[in-house]
Amino acid sequence: MTTLSIIALTIGVWGQRLLGGFVVGPWLERQPTLTRAAKLIPAAVVTAVIVQLTVADGRTLVADARLAGVLVAGVLVWRKAPFLVVVLGAAVTTALLRAL
Amino acid sequence: MQREVDAGPRLNFADFVTLVITFFSLGVTLQVLLIDIGTSQVRAFIASSVIFSATSQFAYLAVKDAGGSEWPAILAGVIVATRFGILAVSLRPRLPEGRLRRLAATVNAFDPNVAIAVQQAEPKAAEREFWRTTAAMMLGWFSGVAVGTFLGDVLGDTSRLGLDAVFPAALLAIMGNLLRTRDGRTAGITGGLLCLVLIPLAPPGLPIILSLGGVVVAVALSTEPRLSKSGTP
Repeated sequence: MTTLSIIALTIGVWGQRLLGGFVVGPWLERQPTLTRAAKLIPAAVVTAVIVQLTVADGRTLVADARLAGVLVAGVLVWRKAPFLVVVLGAAVTTALLRAL
Repeated sequence: MQREVDAGPRLNFADFVTLVITFFSLGVTLQVLLIDIGTSQVRAFIASSVIFSATSQFAYLAVKDAGGSEWPAILAGVIVATRFGILAVSLRPRLPEGRLRRLAATVNAFDPNVAIAVQQAEPKAAEREFWRTTAAMMLGWFSGVAVGTFLGDVLGDTSRLGLDAVFPAALLAIMGNLLRTRDGRTAGITGGLLCLVLIPLAPPGLPIILSLGGVVVAVALSTEPRLSKSGTP
């Protein structure tokens, strides 16, 4: 990670909390449709990051042991397994497939 | 069940320990992965301590890894951190009195502490449970980051341990409740598909940024009434 990225991400991450809590929040609370849209942003962008971390190798799409691990995690999340079980399930599945 | 009696969930000792272990493991994993891809130990330690958002760090690194340049990577990292801005908005009705106390709680908004605070009936309980949860998270995270910084040099090939699957899995678990709602699922699936299709086509960073289109689709397809009576989640 570069120095620029560490500084910019720190401002970007902590600053958005201040924006949400004190600047955008009071205004957003009076806009029900926008509030609903805003609450969906994490669903869209975090899923995109999950996709990128799961099937991308640079700019190529690959289906490897990672994908199997994340699929297992998906089933565990769906079955409402505890957080640590989800994470361990993914890691163990991926590691086992690689060890084969 | 009488509603007045239901004061909201408390963070008991077992929950506290689980949170510490959870954030400890995430901190260790993040450090080991950062060092494995060539970040120096000092830099990795500083980055994870001050940014304190594995999601943003991973979004940034994913874009860089795909050959992207600095600013698109930073933009991707900042966009995924909108989650924290939204959490700060959700926390607003439960914020304590007093400028400094409001500020302190707002800048510490994370998924677990906001989730427990908004479920409290009493403002005092909300503040207490918020900070107890925050303490557990911080304790786990910083000890994990410290241990991971040293382990990073020792562990060697992390993909052998399946550590690269840990973060997508962790994010999936964090987003579980939102993805379970109809609109959240629509936004998630559309955003994810947009990203998937764009990875080979668009410059690195853009697939994550353009996944915001999933929100537009979800709002357009939403069956919820136009005007809900309150903005509480």
